[in-house]
Amino acid sequence: MKRLAAVVALLGLATATACSGGEGTTNTSGSSGGGGGLFTTIDVNRPGLEPSAPPNPYAPKGNSFSAFNSMKLGWVKNHLTDPNVALPGLAASWEIAPDNSSITLKLQPNAKWSDGKPVTAQDVQLSIGIAYTVGSTAFAVTPGAAGAAGEVTVVDDQTLKITQNMDNPSPKFARGVLDTTVVPAHVWSSVLPADFWDKIKTARGEGADAEKAREEITGLGEKVLAFAPQKDVSAGPFVLERVNPGEALLVKNKNFFNAANVAPDQVKFLNYTGNEQIWNYLTSGKLDHSGFVAAPTDVMNRIKAAPGSEVIKGYSPVAVGLAFNQSKKPYDNVHVRRGLAHLINREEVTKVASPEGGTAATTTSGIHQKAAQAWIPETVPQLEPYAPDLAKAEEEFKKAGLQKKDGKWALADGTPWKVSMHAPSGFSDWLSAQENIKSQLIKGGVDAEVVTTTDYPLYLEELAAGKYDAGFWLMALGPAPYDIFQRLYGASNGWTNVQGKVSHSAPGKNGNWMGGPEEIEVDGEKINPGELTGELNSATAEEAKPIMAKLAKAANQDLPVIQLWDYVNTQFVNNSRFTGWPHDDEILRLGTGVLASGVWIQAGMIKSKK
Amino acid sequence: MSATLIPESASAAGTMRRNFWRGVWRVMKRKPSRMAGVVIVVGFAFMGVFGPMFYPDHLPGDINQITKPPSWEHWFGTDPQGRDVLALVITGSRYVLLCAAVTAVITVVAGTAIGLFSGFKRGRWDTVLMRITDMKLTIPGLPLLLVLATVWKFGSPMQMGLVLGLLGWGGVARAVRAQTLSLRERGFIEAARGLGLSTTHIVSKELLPSMAPYIAMNMLISVTGAVYAQVGLFFLGVLPYESDNWGVMLNLAVFQAGAMIQPNALGYLLAPLLAILLLTLGIVLVVDAMDEIFNPRLREE
Repeated sequence: MKRLAAVVALLGLATATACSGGEGTTNTSGSSGGGGGLFTTIDVNRPGLEPSAPPNPYAPKGNSFSAFNSMKLGWVKNHLTDPNVALPGLAASWEIAPDNSSITLKLQPNAKWSDGKPVTAQDVQLSIGIAYTVGSTAFAVTPGAAGAAGEVTVVDDQTLKITQNMDNPSPKFARGVLDTTVVPAHVWSSVLPADFWDKIKTARGEGADAEKAREEITGLGEKVLAFAPQKDVSAGPFVLERVNPGEALLVKNKNFFNAANVAPDQVKFLNYTGNEQIWNYLTSGKLDHSGFVAAPTDVMNRIKAAPGSEVIKGYSPVAVGLAFNQSKKPYDNVHVRRGLAHLINREEVTKVASPEGGTAATTTSGIHQKAAQAWIPETVPQLEPYAPDLAKAEEEFKKAGLQKKDGKWALADGTPWKVSMHAPSGFSDWLSAQENIKSQLIKGGVDAEVVTTTDYPLYLEELAAGKYDAGFWLMALGPAPYDIFQRLYGASNGWTNVQGKVSHSAPGKNGNWMGGPEEIEVDGEKINPGELTGELNSATAEEAKPIMAKLAKAANQDLPVIQLWDYVNTQFVNNSRFTGWPHDDEILRLGTGVLASGVWIQAGMIKSKK
Repeated sequence: MSATLIPESASAAGTMRRNFWRGVWRVMKRKPSRMAGVVIVVGFAFMGVFGPMFYPDHLPGDINQITKPPSWEHWFGTDPQGRDVLALVITGSRYVLLCAAVTAVITVVAGTAIGLFSGFKRGRWDTVLMRITDMKLTIPGLPLLLVLATVWKFGSPMQMGLVLGLLGWGGVARAVRAQTLSLRERGFIEAARGLGLSTTHIVSKELLPSMAPYIAMNMLISVTGAVYAQVGLFFLGVLPYESDNWGVMLNLAVFQAGAMIQPNALGYLLAPLLAILLLTLGIVLVVDAMDEIFNPRLREE
């Protein structure tokens, strides 16, 4: 019996070694110009791997990793002011007409899919068709949508010309085009009907037919989201091999146009469910690269102390602010908001919440402080900094008619006042910040509480439904000026931009949860901030500057949000196995959803140490 | 005669009471650990009732003391807001213990009432009540709580205790019924019946006192159950954030301060864990003492 047990144990051991051998040994096989090796990373945008999900870039849980096994025409960068800069993706080069009316793309001449078929203009055309069905900034069927494409013309097998509909042009049209994911037509052609482009033409018109065509096109989006290719066919540097609940394995695509310069032979995406797990990976030196993840100072120090670990910092066009629901009392009174701004020490909040990943906001302008210096340097010094000042806060609260009873501020009618701040429960930095703000407010005589919501989607839903008094709000989402200010003076504050026409809805209607005033007096002149923001959508850079100055002043004096900190782009890399990490600010910060290390690897920047 | 009998019976009762407390003292003395148990339980009760009074409503934080390891100044270190962890444990005890107490009372009252009624009445009532109890026992507690937490925000310890209590009476009801079934056939109950005493008298004066120790022990044990359940729910982050709670402390220690990664936050993680451990230990020791006090066979040994 004992002998049998020993045999079984030995057999078990042998099987286990055979299984695990696949991970460690195969990574050195196959030679490459970059030196080979296994590259380990995480998809920082998407916690939780789903083994059964298809390699579909549009599926919400799809096993498609941008810049690894999914390619875009270009990799848009977050320049301080120019939205249209990008690194080449499947488009090797492009020309943008001076008036932004068109973009002519030249595809990579040697681009091939992982099954050996060449990447052609037809693939791009089909991908644009798909982009119409799922909604995209450049490819939208909504009538009069700003920056929408007019015509898509296949010039030859390698060249496409896309024109902008100049009825309502946008300066970031080219960005929208370059940000398009390209899928193989020979795999995906079945998702679009044969008469798809006729439908697009009909949809651009007016009347019932056009309306029906638009509905049909958006209806196709569901088919796209559910599409499940049998096998991953990738034009990127890697192709999906297998996924299990713990990790996704990608292997090098030998047909990739720049395969000779792609260093790793394999890429492993590790599964994670929360920040704490990523900290674990980073402190043990497991990851070669990870995008930004919030971490407290001590954890950050442990990460930095891991062998080979390096933290690269750069610009990130994102800020966070405490936004108010002005339909609720007493937040409808600007003096209350100003008083609160004087009570909050932003340096302290940032120190507690995001010491490494953020810089305390210099003031509330609606713009990231670095972008503000680039866009409106002469307006910035004129803005009220809202320095922490108890006396000023008291003065503002008195102006608002609040009453102080036993050292505590109460509403004008004497009822108790409690600032109720909301945050999603997983966002550790936001919670830390709110807990600190709560302490500061209580010290200033304002009662406060922190309330959490289970997750971020529910948080956004409840925020939009006007359920919260105040909550954290991502803002200053550059680089395009319109994108920056629509966070303050867009749909969430009542202004909707339909067919290029801006209209205002009353608080509580059409997603207007901020409920701010429709007009604000700036420098003795009444302005409509929503309409001005709408103008930014089609303004050139020079035209945009004076508008942005006005809007920054409006945001500064009206305080729909109190800007707390501006994020710092923090990338975690490890030099033990790979080197060549870029330190250039612009290459560091790529557009939303793109996994930066994939772009660096495919461009040949990353080299294996061996 | 009766005039002389009354003082006699009163003094007899007095003697019995004295003997009982002497017995309690003897049992306690036999194992010092039992004394420790009582001290711990009384200490926690004191902490829950009076502890928060020693601190301001809102604990002040020091941003220059964020997540510090234990020191003389801060015995268990500080949290990511620079607050003293010990102060957090003490102020957090009120919610945890109040909720546990509410749970224990509801569990025991509902469980005992249903068990007694069911066991004493038997027949149709017994069948109906026991089937309900069976159904209740098959409902898994934690998943149900997770679902409930999405629709109901357990803002106050009373609400939380009510829900936990309503989820926990099944086991007590079954056990009390079993005890009742066995006791009701005993001679002293039959004698009481023969004397024509009312059901109320039999239940309240004969049956309940015999089961009191058992019920009291169940009550103490359900306190620990309630502490685990609510701390667990707060740790998982499914309940609304409330900074003064041990479960939230554990959650923040792991997910905000990174206690599993950096040793500075270990105090923040260990303090609430230690509190839970101590409370459980205290209760176990008290239950052990009670067992001997009320169980004559153990006492004789």
